[in-house]
Amino acid sequence: MSYQLPPWLSLIAPPAVAVALVAALLVAGKVPLSYNLRNLRIRWKTTVLTALAFTVVVALLMVMHAFATGIQRLSQGSGQPANVIVLSDGASDELYSNLPLSETSDLARQEGVLRDTAGRPLCSREVYVFINQPVPVREGQRPKHRFLAIRGVEEPSVSALVHGLELSSGTWFSEAGVRDLSSANRERASTASPYAHVEAVLGEGLAREFGRDRDKESLEVGDVFPLGPRQGVVVGIMRGADTTFGSEVWAKRQKIGEIFGKETFYTSLVLRTDGPARAQQLAQWLSRDFKKVAVSAMTETEYFAKMSEVNEQLLGAIYFVAGIMALGGVFGVMNTMFAAIRQRTTDIGVLRILGFARWQVLVSFLLEAMVIAALGGVLGCGLGYLVNGMNTNSVVGTSGGGMKRLSFQMIVDGNTLAAAVLFTLVMGFLGGLLPAMSAMRQKPLESLR
Amino acid sequence: MKFFLLILKNLRRNKLRTALTALATMVLVFVVTMIWTVVYFLEAFTQEKSGNLKAIVTERWQMPSQMPLSYVGPLSHGAARKAGDKEPKDSMAWQFYIGTLDAVKKTRENMVVLVAMDVRKLPRKSQRDGKVIITKGMIDDLDPIDEALIEKLAQTTQGCLLGKKRLKALNKKVGERFKITGLEYTGIDLEFEIIGVLPEGRWDENGFMNERYLNNAIDAYKGFGGTKHPLDQRRLNMFWVEVGNKEDFSQVIEQINTSPTFSERPVKCETFASLIANFLDSYSGFIWFIQWVLVPGSMFSMVLLIANAISLNVRERTKEMAVLKVMGFQPWQLLVLVLGEALLLGTSSGLLAGGLIYFIANTLAGGITLPGSEPFPVPWMAVVWGASVGGATALLGSFLPAWTARTIKASEVFARVA
Repeated sequence: MSYQLPPWLSLIAPPAVAVALVAALLVAGKVPLSYNLRNLRIRWKTTVLTALAFTVVVALLMVMHAFATGIQRLSQGSGQPANVIVLSDGASDELYSNLPLSETSDLARQEGVLRDTAGRPLCSREVYVFINQPVPVREGQRPKHRFLAIRGVEEPSVSALVHGLELSSGTWFSEAGVRDLSSANRERASTASPYAHVEAVLGEGLAREFGRDRDKESLEVGDVFPLGPRQGVVVGIMRGADTTFGSEVWAKRQKIGEIFGKETFYTSLVLRTDGPARAQQLAQWLSRDFKKVAVSAMTETEYFAKMSEVNEQLLGAIYFVAGIMALGGVFGVMNTMFAAIRQRTTDIGVLRILGFARWQVLVSFLLEAMVIAALGGVLGCGLGYLVNGMNTNSVVGTSGGGMKRLSFQMIVDGNTLAAAVLFTLVMGFLGGLLPAMSAMRQKPLESLR
Repeated sequence: MKFFLLILKNLRRNKLRTALTALATMVLVFVVTMIWTVVYFLEAFTQEKSGNLKAIVTERWQMPSQMPLSYVGPLSHGAARKAGDKEPKDSMAWQFYIGTLDAVKKTRENMVVLVAMDVRKLPRKSQRDGKVIITKGMIDDLDPIDEALIEKLAQTTQGCLLGKKRLKALNKKVGERFKITGLEYTGIDLEFEIIGVLPEGRWDENGFMNERYLNNAIDAYKGFGGTKHPLDQRRLNMFWVEVGNKEDFSQVIEQINTSPTFSERPVKCETFASLIANFLDSYSGFIWFIQWVLVPGSMFSMVLLIANAISLNVRERTKEMAVLKVMGFQPWQLLVLVLGEALLLGTSSGLLAGGLIYFIANTLAGGITLPGSEPFPVPWMAVVWGASVGGATALLGSFLPAWTARTIKASEVFARVA
């Protein structure tokens, strides 16, 4: 079990460590920091210009990192360790899985699958559909499209138990899964469809996103929305904004299968066991020894970890871009420090004559560079922090080739701050090192001439 | 000319500062060029090409698109159903077969994506009476393949043509056989013989196979209790139509989109550009961020770095500027001198950066790759972008320092010196 710092501590820790490091250098270096600070103040324009370059890099890094962290939290929060997800053999994503209805009836009766108080096996039978549908736009705007994830489930209350979800408002859809709106409601909904409306439960994140289409905070129970070729009516809103399910539409499996031509198979079955160890065992047995139909089973945490793999590639790309931009900042601070040292050769000579050692001169100028970087970095962190909690959405590909559409919040956490602080310190250090070494090598008498 | 030489001399005076500023500019131009390359290609894909007479038919709602194979017949006639309806000049059906060489450990390297189609519709070249005859086919971004190779593929049911990079990733050679475990068509594992290699280009990571091989395998599949494969009625992934002229183009699209034949599994017919544009709508936030936040951020950093370097230059040369004024240089000439230094530095750094990224990215990496995407080759325009971004940011960044140089008062400078 990994230990996680409390959120307030994870935010304070990185800058605290940075301050401690700088303080240690200060104490070891012995050249008064006030000397460096005074020089920065005198040449304030140069200081500000160099620091602002760091601000931009650090702020952009934090924004991109907050985006990736938001996705990561969502995928980590979605998998239940005690759940086993069953796909058809060879499929690594539910989008490409097809488990024939008739061949999977035994799966729920396997040993290890828990039952609810009514004796029903905790088995969620699902059909996952990913569609691309038009988004309502204002007059004169170019038509737009949006991906939508729809999950058809047979028994919503059982599926909710399996996935650890609950409703924040409304109810689950009925057995029929459709509702015939009264003619008055139908007129208000401006629908010309002859079909009954499909009852749907929306994830919180998706309800907010749909709400924004209508300049509302969120869709509510009773609201009608387009659902592919049909119209859906909201019967409930599901809590779960911190999971991928918060970005989905849930409806009756039979109805979704009928509408999208997946009536003869499930895309996945999710089984709840009594713990992670049992889930692992069951997954292995099903993959290896279940004879009725060839399946690929894994724990749900394993399944969602695959989404994290793609996110790691995204993080890699973010660090690569930020690293390149940081190089620009490094050259910038190098320029500033070389110019400062050129103007202060006399100061350096005096410091040496006063008895400060070469390495102390090095530390002094290194600290000066790091202070410039820190000034810019602190401002950048402050700017970057503004995106914390901002709603956004994205389509994420999974390593199995599937796709998930996520509505999530950007998160600035300890890791994000640590990355920003580390970048700042490293940029300052690298930018100040060469100039500080050149200062260190100056001969006292020659610099006083 | 003398003015230009003076600018060069000034830049050479502090080589270290010039080099550091140039390096900082190059690095940030690199970021901007990378992003503009990606955006350039995305915009190119989504722009309607004049003279384009090809449309693509996919499932209206779902991704991935999966339509019944029975749609091929009506679609090849453009869903024409009454007098006056137009028919396409040519058409092509695509089915995707995706599999892996290692069912236990699936990696990007051991995956294979094959397009199953009537291989005689591939673009081909042949020799007749000493002349090379090219039959364009329906696939615009694939260079013509030798006719003999296509015929061999058509006659070898289990044959396939693979792209060069995919062949290398699988560690296979022409003539070898390999077996794939089907990922989408679970339970349908196929063995292939590599007949040949595709011409280099867009199709380096994929391949082509005979549609009859895949369809026979799906037809022969028997599930539990003799049931057909779950994807039996969902085999057709894409259908292309090419129309003879522009006037008929919209009509054929309308015929297909409104045809009652496809009511069971609705389809949509649109241009490829429109398909890509609709797909990219969901990424609009990401594209907006990299285009309008990341790029301006990088350019702002460049402006700051150049402003810093040039203002350091001006501050160190106040005496020189004062002497130039005494010698008769006008204030505007000093302004131009400083701006000229910045412009030369910025433009040449940007030009060099653009050239380097064009050469290095295309030669070593085949282009710029985003996570999960094919590489985007860097266009030659990257050189122009680099020079213009470097020059523009240099001008912007150096304007204030140049104005300071312009307003230097010789008497004040010499008074301080005295």
